[in-house]
Amino acid sequence: MTGYRIPFGGRIDRSRPLTFTFDGQSYEGYAGDTLASALVAAGVTVFGRSFKYHRPRGLVATGVEEPNALISLDRGADRVTPNLRAPQISLYEGLVAKSQNRWPSLKHDVAVLNDVFGAFFPAGFYNKTFMWPRSAWEKLYEPVIRNLAGLGESPVARDPDHYDATYAHCEVLVVGGGIAGMEAALEAAAKGGRVFLIDEQDELGGGALADTTLWATVDDLRARLAAADNVTVLTRTTAFGYYHQNFIGASERLTDHVAPFAAKGAREKLWRIRAGEVVLAQGAIERPLVFNGNDVPGVMLSNAARTLALRYGVAVGRRVVVMAAHDSGWRDALALHALGIDIAAIIDMRTVVPGDLADEVRAAGIPIYPGHAVTAVSGRLAVKGVTFAAYGTGKPHKLACDAVLMAGGWTPSVHLWSHAKGSLEWSDAWGAYLPAKAIENCRVVGACAGAWDLGKGEISSALPNAMSVRKQKAFVDFQNDVKARDIHLAVQEGFRSIEHIKRYTTNGMATDQGKTSNLNALQIASNVLGKPVTDIGLTTFRPPYTPQTFGSLMGHHKDALFQPLRKTVIDDWAVAQGAVFENVSQWRRARYFPKAGEGMDAAVGRECQAVRSSVGIFDASTLGKIEVVGPDAAEFLNRMYTNPWKSLQPGRCRYGLLLREDGFIMDDGVSARIAEDRFHLTTTTGGAPRVLSMMEDYLQTEWADLDVWLTSTTEHWAVIALQGPRARDVIAPLVEGIDLSPKAFPHMAVREGTIAGVPTRLFRVSFTGELGFEINVPASEGQKVWDAIFASGKQYGITPYGTEAMHVLRAEKGYIIVGQDTDGTMTPYDMGLDWAVGKKKADFVGKRSLARPDIVAKGRKQFVGLLTEDPYEVLEEGAQIVVHPDEPVPMTMIGHVTSSYRSTTLGRSIALAVLVDGHARMGETVHIPMPEGVIRAKVTGPVFYDSEGSRLND
Amino acid sequence: MIEIAPLAVSAADIKFGTAPVEGTILGKAVRLSPSQPLVRYSLRAKDIAVLAEALGRKLPEKIGTSLDGIARLGPDEWHALLPAGTGLPLVEGKPLAVIDVSARSVGIVVEGPGAAALIERGCPLDLAQFALGRATRTVFETVEMHLWALAPERYHVDVWRSFAPWLWNSLAEAIV
Repeated sequence: MTGYRIPFGGRIDRSRPLTFTFDGQSYEGYAGDTLASALVAAGVTVFGRSFKYHRPRGLVATGVEEPNALISLDRGADRVTPNLRAPQISLYEGLVAKSQNRWPSLKHDVAVLNDVFGAFFPAGFYNKTFMWPRSAWEKLYEPVIRNLAGLGESPVARDPDHYDATYAHCEVLVVGGGIAGMEAALEAAAKGGRVFLIDEQDELGGGALADTTLWATVDDLRARLAAADNVTVLTRTTAFGYYHQNFIGASERLTDHVAPFAAKGAREKLWRIRAGEVVLAQGAIERPLVFNGNDVPGVMLSNAARTLALRYGVAVGRRVVVMAAHDSGWRDALALHALGIDIAAIIDMRTVVPGDLADEVRAAGIPIYPGHAVTAVSGRLAVKGVTFAAYGTGKPHKLACDAVLMAGGWTPSVHLWSHAKGSLEWSDAWGAYLPAKAIENCRVVGACAGAWDLGKGEISSALPNAMSVRKQKAFVDFQNDVKARDIHLAVQEGFRSIEHIKRYTTNGMATDQGKTSNLNALQIASNVLGKPVTDIGLTTFRPPYTPQTFGSLMGHHKDALFQPLRKTVIDDWAVAQGAVFENVSQWRRARYFPKAGEGMDAAVGRECQAVRSSVGIFDASTLGKIEVVGPDAAEFLNRMYTNPWKSLQPGRCRYGLLLREDGFIMDDGVSARIAEDRFHLTTTTGGAPRVLSMMEDYLQTEWADLDVWLTSTTEHWAVIALQGPRARDVIAPLVEGIDLSPKAFPHMAVREGTIAGVPTRLFRVSFTGELGFEINVPASEGQKVWDAIFASGKQYGITPYGTEAMHVLRAEKGYIIVGQDTDGTMTPYDMGLDWAVGKKKADFVGKRSLARPDIVAKGRKQFVGLLTEDPYEVLEEGAQIVVHPDEPVPMTMIGHVTSSYRSTTLGRSIALAVLVDGHARMGETVHIPMPEGVIRAKVTGPVFYDSEGSRLND
Repeated sequence: MIEIAPLAVSAADIKFGTAPVEGTILGKAVRLSPSQPLVRYSLRAKDIAVLAEALGRKLPEKIGTSLDGIARLGPDEWHALLPAGTGLPLVEGKPLAVIDVSARSVGIVVEGPGAAALIERGCPLDLAQFALGRATRTVFETVEMHLWALAPERYHVDVWRSFAPWLWNSLAEAIV
């Protein structure tokens, strides 16, 4: 035997030795090993340090339930994955693994002082102790605690891997590839239909892989599955969540089991599977026993030792003690003994065990101690021996050994069953909860259904001991360092429900979700409270079953495909012009078009001037557009908007103001009546989806009798805004079928014709205060029309302008932007839009709210203009406004700046604001305190330019 | 400190395809190509007979099916996808709505033995049950699209114009 490797057997490939490192030290293993099996084979006992007390910890399990052996796997600087469970890491050549939560090394950890003073760190300690002084929490306590109590370090580099994702459908999905799962899959496959079989291990077989007598059966079942062409088998795949209507989330690990240089393609694949029926064959997890010293490295689950020996050819020790409360421990002892491993003793809590087992064990020459319990374990970095006594209180005996196996019985895995809200029923025989009634079309088979013969056992809480529970190092939750005494303390503090006990002690709240600890905690609590287990409740399992990578959950959404970025058909042109962009909701829009050497202020100033003096061109395609069609279209809009719509003539436009039911402004836009029963609505860029769904909501739930339909046409139309005194001259040579003269085509009118040969809905509207048109053409022709207009405008110095100039131009005119100048609490009256409210209308959405007492009361914030005393001072948007700047902080704030710009047209700064009783404050001076000093400004009306509107109607 | 790339604008450079992408997915051949130009109409009415009469066409009755280029998407909603150069009358004065949305979307044709697998990567429909003649509104991840089963192993995907570059590239990335 080299190290602890058994010279024969196991499913490893001894012809393929592999070299790997753990904490910098080189080791050897074989293909088919896990990191855990290879390290145990090499004689390693300490795998990590515990979360709170920094106690040295060894391997407990060989499955996903492993609470201690959390490892960082280093696949290159940007591919470090923390917190992987050693028994789940497949070995490959050159694997680099590191332990966690220790400094400076695993064997010498400074923070182990926590353990020495562990008596002072009971459950609830942190909450009670680190409260005072409060200021120290953020700067001192929290960083230090975070540093000490921890798991692995998060990777800091950008993940270079990519991840795949797909949906899939099947008639039957089986979770768990043990014998029960494989049989269920074959049975389903025989009925025809698509079958999925998912298993988290490297190979199918489940628990049978640790039982050589079942290997032939496993091989046979595997061959039959491979031959069935309607079965999809996914190994290395974890079904991590069971969601509504048989929707299963599963993550397939594609490359982590091969060396980094050999890894090709996506790292993981997210499977989103909808199944007709789900069959859960998750098996059962062995339960540790709670006794003093049960966390010394070398104390592990009995089944783990069996798996290491039979599946991986590794002995957990040379002289092994079995501490059992269940028959399965006896069977494991016999299996190990058959491989030549010395079993020093089987100690069993029970006084009676099945006769045949006892006979077999006696025949093997293994000493047995029924009615005894381990009371102490010696050794710190590895087990050296045990002390045990009759009923834990009798005369102590000592035994030298290098491993202790715990056989505490079995807990059926009901995790996914619980995700799906299946009910559970307590089983005395199992000492555990079993699935009872399903909600989904789901059934359970094998051990997780309680339908597997694992032998009989007796369920205890903690093992009896003459020592007080307060002094014992008897761990319940290894990962969160919860001891039996913490459960006692929680009960003593008055907690009665397991939900509260769980939160007070943090039992079951580690990343393993208490796979090995929940039932033991429940039993202890039940014992202390003197109530049956079923009376103190059960905590809930939630997805994910095991921790998953963010990459897997993100799937396709990475880098360029992270999320769609919406661009208009003019975007390419704007890029070629060197535009600077900004994102507005999902859209990207040209913000300004700088010429060489120009900054934003200069570019925006130039763009504004071009619009005021000649003509500017602007891509308004992102404006939301809704086509409202049907005989009741006018009636519908009349009910939605604040102003009257029935009287609007075809060919005319109207500004529409949309309120929510609470009377506050939700959106606005200019809309046109194209025909008797056809309207073309516009909304703000960001507001389009919300306006459409609000209107659709009213239509479907309130006014289903109306014959009118809403269709989003945002993306059908490219919209080219042409603004400035020369706008008409620019389009005149391009337009056919429309009389452009001011008389025939006044402001706020719409006409249909062609422009550059393309059918258009031509709006005469303005968001700048200048003569202007908004040219709607099908998006597919947008660039062509834009080019034609731009060419035609050359002689007038046509200037492209962006959203920034658009904002300045509209602010000079006092036109509001919903969402910038309003904040969801502004009424039309607050915004000075009284003219847009139809006083004679019987009703519209929000009308009744406009009469609410607090809406008509004095003291509301109202929309005003602000002119700073220093004309070159540009206020900060969002800055607070006060009356008396000498007031001590916090001063009485009476409003804030909503929009603020440098206006080239006016040769000074302008600002818009909302101000308490602002309409009555015209001419008053207000103060805006800023870090650099107090700025004084005069309250004015919000229209700074051409207040008569003469330029609009040219 | 973690350097965070400007993720939200990272899709700025992706473009809608102008040439077909051919290859395989899971070993099965698949081809992605921009569709021929089409005209599109949103058709709405509470009464199928009123709409059929106004258009002078037979309309599909079952939701999620199509007939001669018109799909029934919902109880009062149909959608026409017709060859360029044809058209439907914009009927007025009747309890119905005909809206030209030709330029709103662009089409993508996905064909070949791997077509279903390619679409199922981001679309939650069970395409094995999506028989010939089916047409429906659905999603690919977060993006809405219309899906038509036009011929065996041949699907037409219609997607709003501004989402098309993202969808095209999301489909194309899986073709090897």
